[in-house]
Amino acid sequence: MTLAETYACIPSTERGRGILISGDSKSDTILYTNARSVVILDLNNPLKVSIYGEHAYPATVARYSPNGEWIASGDVSGTVRIWGARDDHVLKKEFKVLAGRIDDLQWSDDGMRIVASGDGKGKSLVRAFMWDSGSNVGEFDGHSRRVLSCAIKPTRPFRIVTCGEDFLVNFYEGPPFKFKLSSREHSNFVNCVRYSPDGSKFITVSSDKKGIIYDGKTCEKLGQLSSEDGHKGSIYAVSWSPDGKEVLTVSADKSAKIWEISDSGNGTLKITLTCPGSSGGVDDMLVGCLWQNDHIVTVSLGGTISIFSASDLEKSPFQFSGHMKNISSLSVLRGNSDYILSGSYDGLICKWMMGRGFCGKLQRKQNSQIKCFAAHEVEIITSGFDNTISRISYQDGQVTNEESVGVGNQPNDLSLAPLSPGLLLVTFESGVVFLRGEKVVSTINLGFTVTALAVTPDGTEAIVGGQDGKLRLYSVNGDSLNEEAVLEKHRGAISVIRYSPDLSMFASADLNREAVVWDRASREMKLKNMLYHSARINCLAWSPNSTMVATGSLDTCVIVYEVDKPASTRMTIKGAHLGGVYGLGFADDTHVVSSGEDACIRVWSLTT
Amino acid sequence: MANAASGMAVHDDCKLKFLELKAKRTYRFIVYKIEEQQKQVVVEKLGEPGQSHDDFAASLPVDECRYAIFDFDFVTAENCQKSKIFFVAWSPDTARVRSKMIYASSKDRFKRELDGIQVELQATDPTEMDLDIFKSRAN
Repeated sequence: MTLAETYACIPSTERGRGILISGDSKSDTILYTNARSVVILDLNNPLKVSIYGEHAYPATVARYSPNGEWIASGDVSGTVRIWGARDDHVLKKEFKVLAGRIDDLQWSDDGMRIVASGDGKGKSLVRAFMWDSGSNVGEFDGHSRRVLSCAIKPTRPFRIVTCGEDFLVNFYEGPPFKFKLSSREHSNFVNCVRYSPDGSKFITVSSDKKGIIYDGKTCEKLGQLSSEDGHKGSIYAVSWSPDGKEVLTVSADKSAKIWEISDSGNGTLKITLTCPGSSGGVDDMLVGCLWQNDHIVTVSLGGTISIFSASDLEKSPFQFSGHMKNISSLSVLRGNSDYILSGSYDGLICKWMMGRGFCGKLQRKQNSQIKCFAAHEVEIITSGFDNTISRISYQDGQVTNEESVGVGNQPNDLSLAPLSPGLLLVTFESGVVFLRGEKVVSTINLGFTVTALAVTPDGTEAIVGGQDGKLRLYSVNGDSLNEEAVLEKHRGAISVIRYSPDLSMFASADLNREAVVWDRASREMKLKNMLYHSARINCLAWSPNSTMVATGSLDTCVIVYEVDKPASTRMTIKGAHLGGVYGLGFADDTHVVSSGEDACIRVWSLTT
Repeated sequence: MANAASGMAVHDDCKLKFLELKAKRTYRFIVYKIEEQQKQVVVEKLGEPGQSHDDFAASLPVDECRYAIFDFDFVTAENCQKSKIFFVAWSPDTARVRSKMIYASSKDRFKRELDGIQVELQATDPTEMDLDIFKSRAN
């Protein structure tokens, strides 16, 4: 089993704060973080992604060393990990640097020292240390509140500049670094400070919409970004061009601006870039930027990454996005082109295509949270936490109609019978609700706690799984259910039931990490001992030719069994998704698609 | 010969068959059962050398505990043929608690009777006794 493609998660963003992304110009990759993962994305091929998941706490910032060999990443607990940039990402060292979260991290140009800044108590808001021994190389007092950004002068004589929420920009000389002077030119949070590549100047940007340029050696103010055509919102991040003559700034006013910096230190606007296809909402606020080689990368609050070409600024940027949170469900739609639809619990539904990656987000009327999700050809059904079911009609990648139906109880599973048109069965804690079209036709109380459901595509038979581990088969008569059989085998609450595509079998999985394949006609167990997971099974999928079953579990593994062979001849993918596998589907008979808590989707190839 | 915390004796045959397996390789596996009425551990099944791990797994009952000895052949990294003797304490989740208690308390005493066990394994369901587990424990 090999990994064929990864559709990466997007950087986690927070309203009101910028994010700092960095990259390596030699390998043309960028680094960003999402929850506990650090993502290394190749700008020329966004499907080539490498993810480092060894942080115990959500990671906040990551940076390549100047020689491109190591990556230092910091997290919310104040720990900095230094690990190899290639292959297995071997850990070199781990240091507990600050008492609170790390907001920015920079290597010195010789790769020997690292300065980290962030939140903490009193003294430990900024620390600079040797990369291999962790010994301190200076004392950094002068800040009283969270230090949002720091920068080291790349050329000798070395200087460190830090800036933060106390509106101050502090300047330190060294090594060993000591406080030199402080500048209070800004009237709001100073969000980012960056040195030009030749070290002659540095620029600070702030939530007061100003950008101020200083001399790199003496920290004297040289000039500022011109205020005509300036940003109309907080400026969250700044990045110098590789030649040091221009800077890129991004702001909450949803635009990115490129400024020319003259030698005297004044900045004049060269061009304003806006991202096309914006819906005009808060999600378009730009929170992060990076200028690397020919690429200008901007990140929006909604997580869309836009890559502009620096040499051809008029060209439309290449945009892609993804999920920021746990992708709780996945569906493979087969039709003219095979789409993969993924739904995350924050209500975002994205479309992907194998070989291409991100194809678009589904614009919905209201982005209510999604707990259960089912998709078939032209219809998507979701349910959330508000006791309603949304039926979304979907044509050519666009939402054409969206209806919301109240069902009176919180749904915990749902199943669609596409051939019996409009029939949808939804389970809630003690029973089942029948829906035809947008009307609730009946609500049946079954008398036991229901946890899972499956219905045949023609709507004649349904299986309901309970908390007691029993599977009850019902035949569907009009709007009511007649109990046909009770199957006992599972020793835990049933989590998912699925019919095979040829309808001759069905498979069920429970919270006690066991899965069973049953023959539908005889109701006998066809394949058992599928006990190879070490934690609850979250999802289950059949291959289109009904010969294989895949199960995904909280233990991060995906196991594929062949129905005609004993369970021990399984294929296991270990560590498929950090945090657990929550969605599973077969793209075709040789490719499995899985999604999980790490907000990524991975396509695995079964043929070696 | 009754001499254990649970009062189980070990039948002489158990030790004899084990020595035969060790010295002459006459069996692939031996399955032992505790006979509660006679208060003894006795040999229940013997496996021919030609039988495999699958036959061994099939010979263990699904919801009752047993002790077993399995002679596992494998090839090491340096390409030598080696074999290790595994003691398997088969205690499935679906067995009765009383059965599990008796087997658990008599296990130590029983193992001491069989000199030459190289690896011990406890299995609570068929997946924990899988060939992969044997292979990884053998090294």
